[in-house]
Amino acid sequence: MTVSLESRSAAAGPANPTPPTGTTVEAVAVLTGWGHGIRALPADAARAAAGRAVIPLFRPVLEGERFRRATRECLLGVAAVDALLRESNIARDMIRGSATALIYVTGAAYGASNQAFIVAESLKQASSEGGLTEKRAGSVVSSGTLHFPYTAPSAMAGEVAIEFGLTGPYGILIGGAAATIDALWQATRLLAGGRCERALVLAVETFEECAALYARGRWLVRRPLVEAAACALLVPGALRARYDAPRTPSTLETLARLRAGETLACAPLIALALARDGGAAGSVSVTGEWRGRRAGLHWQ
Amino acid sequence: MTPLGADLDAFWSGLVTGSDGISMIERFPVDDLRVGRGGEIKKLRPLPHTRHTGCRATQLLLAAAQDLLARAVISASPERVAVVLGTALGGVEQLERALARGGRPRHAAGALYDSPAHALAHRLGARGPVLTVGTACAAGATALGIGADLLRADAADVVIAGGYDGLCRFVMRGFDALRSLTRERVRPFDRRRSGLLLGEAAALVLMTRDDGKGGPKLGRLLGHASASDGSHIAAPDPNGRGLEFAVRAALDEAAVTPADVDFVSAHGTGTPLNDRIEAEVLRRTLGRRASAIPVNSIKGALGHSMGAAAALEAIMCLLASREGVVPHTLGLEEPDPACDLDHVVGSPRATRPRVSLSTSLGFGGCNAALVLEGAET
Repeated sequence: MTVSLESRSAAAGPANPTPPTGTTVEAVAVLTGWGHGIRALPADAARAAAGRAVIPLFRPVLEGERFRRATRECLLGVAAVDALLRESNIARDMIRGSATALIYVTGAAYGASNQAFIVAESLKQASSEGGLTEKRAGSVVSSGTLHFPYTAPSAMAGEVAIEFGLTGPYGILIGGAAATIDALWQATRLLAGGRCERALVLAVETFEECAALYARGRWLVRRPLVEAAACALLVPGALRARYDAPRTPSTLETLARLRAGETLACAPLIALALARDGGAAGSVSVTGEWRGRRAGLHWQ
Repeated sequence: MTPLGADLDAFWSGLVTGSDGISMIERFPVDDLRVGRGGEIKKLRPLPHTRHTGCRATQLLLAAAQDLLARAVISASPERVAVVLGTALGGVEQLERALARGGRPRHAAGALYDSPAHALAHRLGARGPVLTVGTACAAGATALGIGADLLRADAADVVIAGGYDGLCRFVMRGFDALRSLTRERVRPFDRRRSGLLLGEAAALVLMTRDDGKGGPKLGRLLGHASASDGSHIAAPDPNGRGLEFAVRAALDEAAVTPADVDFVSAHGTGTPLNDRIEAEVLRRTLGRRASAIPVNSIKGALGHSMGAAAALEAIMCLLASREGVVPHTLGLEEPDPACDLDHVVGSPRATRPRVSLSTSLGFGGCNAALVLEGAET
């Protein structure tokens, strides 16, 4: 017996590579190690980095007990959505509830919390073996309870969902820029299928805490590594989206890499912001590559 | 690949015979933990070409792929074959190795959450989309849903979808610290339930469009949906809002009503909160039918296999349709009145469900639901 599953809905009609209704990118917000917004991007990130391997991004200062414990990547996700709403004059109540989908993407932003937990647990073990002073041992005893929930990539999306009251369709993809193209495509499908009225695609990338690891895996990522948080709001609109696997980068992908540096999952959203800043109101093609695979989404 | 055995047949026979996959963990030290038991796979012989990776998660996945390929043929060009996998931990055990003194670059690369999925794609020669879904313990369900979406959008002709996670000290220490692990046996929906135990597994399915081509099919994925709680990082929403949204949306997409549902595979972790909330959601969404639909949880037998759990449960639903038997919930002896449903207790139930509902929840407020239909026998 073949172990297989089928999609009955797929048999309802011929395969349709484009959603039945269109979408529009209503707003995009970008925070990077270069500053707030795409106007802060240098003309040439590699030159501006001046040999620095990582361009770090600030830890946002957000009020509330929950945020005191949250990791930096969680705060960056919240800050990116907050920036999008403020810059586009969208009220928080507008996105609250089950009519807004949230799709979160990251290639690396769980690394810091995973590393923190591993290190804290190593200290805890050392303390139990008598290797730490009593005071130091006491400070690490609660490390598991404190750090572990944040080691899951879903914690970042969870904090954003809690902060903005998002209870609609939900997805988390792990990977670099190609995964963000997948996420944008998922958003267009959710909108086209009437599963939501708007969709947030959010990406966060942090590198500083794991810089030594990336230095060892230089073949995987380019330089400079630029920390970033970026968010796009998609709504129903006139443009049809086509999802494919192009062999070459789009003009926007090349431009985003040149201006921002290596931002992994944030790159396609930065590309969208660059397109909007350049006045592109019609056709936009964004592409993204990760681990040898390139995906593309083309609004026409 | 499950603690019940190294292939699909062992998984199914273990479930219907009431085998217990829980044991003392032997692969790494657990002396310093409150709980040292779990659903550990004792006999995993790394395939010759996977020994070099040293990554448990990848080895589990590739072993599952070997079983899949013995049962199904991938009949599509490499560019049209996609891989979509759910995971809660990715290659995190490799991160521990990378951070240790003398850690190697390959460990750093393997520490990324999507490394096992790319290793599987490489093994299969798949050159289509390779997606890793990170919705924690609901990820296996979301992965199957995205796989269906890729087929509908004609972005692939074949999708290898599923989930995986390996047991390691990282996750055992984390859940131990959270006091989520029980020192007793796992008892989903039982009045004495006191927590979960973790397990490890990898589960894969081969998905195609329903075009009548190919060999015999196990069943259909009729609908899927996911939703966030927006409530708490590490606990389910007390009212189960996200799960309710996901269940209703999945039934809607499948174009079925509660009257059509013949069986529910519950997430059923055995934690006091999860099981009560899940039972309440099922009663709300299925209405009066809830008391007449058989419900089970396989986590009493396997432990909570995290990213693999929902994919295993989807497979179990389709096997139940094929075999005409619903496995019972191991560990459930005294159903909790607060979880009042038609639980399958004590022994398997002879019934042939056509339409099944499978529910999943995960860290960060992730919820997912699948509606499946067994192939006609």
